[in-house]
Amino acid sequence: MRSASWTKVAALAVMASLGAGAAWADEPLFGYVYTTDVLPKGKAEIEQWMTLREGRSQGDFHVLQARTEVSYGLTDSLQLSGYLNLAYADVFHNAPGGESSPPEIFADYSVDADKRMKRGRLEGLSGELIWRLASPYTSPVGVALYVEPTIGPRTRELESRFIVQKNFHDDRVVISGNVTLGYEWRKLQADPEADVGSAESRVHWDKETDVNFSIAGSYRFAPNWSVGVEALNEREWGGLDPFKSDHRTNVAYYVGPNIHYGGQKYFATATFLAQLGAGKDYANPHPGFIVDGINNADDFEKYRLRVKVGSVF
Amino acid sequence: MKSKLLLAPLAALSLVPAAAQAVTYLSTAQAQALMCPGLALRQDFRTLTSEQVAAIQRDSGVNVLTKDLKVWRASNGGWFIVDEVVGKHEFITFALALDASGAVRDVEILDYRESYGDQVRNPAWRAQFTGKRHGAPLKLTGDIKNISGATLSSKHITDGVRRLLATYAIVLAPSAA
Repeated sequence: MRSASWTKVAALAVMASLGAGAAWADEPLFGYVYTTDVLPKGKAEIEQWMTLREGRSQGDFHVLQARTEVSYGLTDSLQLSGYLNLAYADVFHNAPGGESSPPEIFADYSVDADKRMKRGRLEGLSGELIWRLASPYTSPVGVALYVEPTIGPRTRELESRFIVQKNFHDDRVVISGNVTLGYEWRKLQADPEADVGSAESRVHWDKETDVNFSIAGSYRFAPNWSVGVEALNEREWGGLDPFKSDHRTNVAYYVGPNIHYGGQKYFATATFLAQLGAGKDYANPHPGFIVDGINNADDFEKYRLRVKVGSVF
Repeated sequence: MKSKLLLAPLAALSLVPAAAQAVTYLSTAQAQALMCPGLALRQDFRTLTSEQVAAIQRDSGVNVLTKDLKVWRASNGGWFIVDEVVGKHEFITFALALDASGAVRDVEILDYRESYGDQVRNPAWRAQFTGKRHGAPLKLTGDIKNISGATLSSKHITDGVRRLLATYAIVLAPSAA
């Protein structure tokens, strides 16, 4: 997979979606924010995600992530999914200091500070379980819980999510909010510039906690078509305790529009997000990775474009 | 490189084919023959006034989607109405037959265009509406059982019948008196 071209990654993703035939996964109204909708019992769905993460405040930064999802309704309120996650990165002189620095999903690779990094990889395999506790169609508010473990080369993740949804106007207006807690473990290379004897001076498992708050609204303005807005607040901590304020590392905010098409057999969703100039870097002396308010740390970029297409069967 | 990478998410959209064809289970004429057998039906289309729309919405608690009321008067004094409710993606077309006293004779689904949830066509589920009159609760998970896995369609058809019974009481019954 080393030095794979973007075409290989895209081709893999498309082949994966076509190879599964006319399958299905749960139809997403939004690109980033989850709703409480799950597949009915016995229904299945396949979904292909493509996420482009573009731009830093300096240099070149292009990351493409492909996720192929297959979902199945275990009951009318319990949905099981599996994901294949691929990624490709092309970065050069993208850190505020001018050096080449890998995005977080490639953090376990050594990168020459003065060379361009072009690399594809298998990010990992994920499982996902969504349990809907209350339906927004029969209860004042829909509520769901979600858990998603991921295992990949030198990577482990465990993400959980609390989802609330409120519908209005004959269910044509949907407002959804998510709170996400994610733990990440990455086996990193030894840092030759780290203090001798420190964990960073040798191969080690780096731990991180992500807490994200997100909200989105959508309006079905015509049969089959909806438009909306999504907003994310992503917060990171070093280690696994998000209650230790001195372990805070990064904060970033994103907002942008989305459009959704849903038909009898196929659906598609596209969301564009731009980072707002309100980022924070608590881990480094001012200004750290912040340039004009944009957070340029490992897991952040200026723009995101996510497209999901899928089919139910 | 930037432009090439941008193509990847956009290329994914090309996998979505054109919208699927609607599924028509019954035409209006077929529904009339099925739901009002042996009765002569006279077209009696109406256009609701703003005041009537407001009154129907107030009475039923359901939004009126259109002022155009597609209604037929039956030779026995009953009524046949074709209307639409919001589905997950598109509108669901349904028909309601009332007897001369305003009680529900039958409910039928004419067009259903969704990927799932067509269990609302199930005769046993639709039979729950038979005999209901204006003033009945007609509430999903109340006097009308939900169909798990077809909740949105069940809810909107239930709301649609409640709205049409309000329409009968406010618009049709006074005109027939």
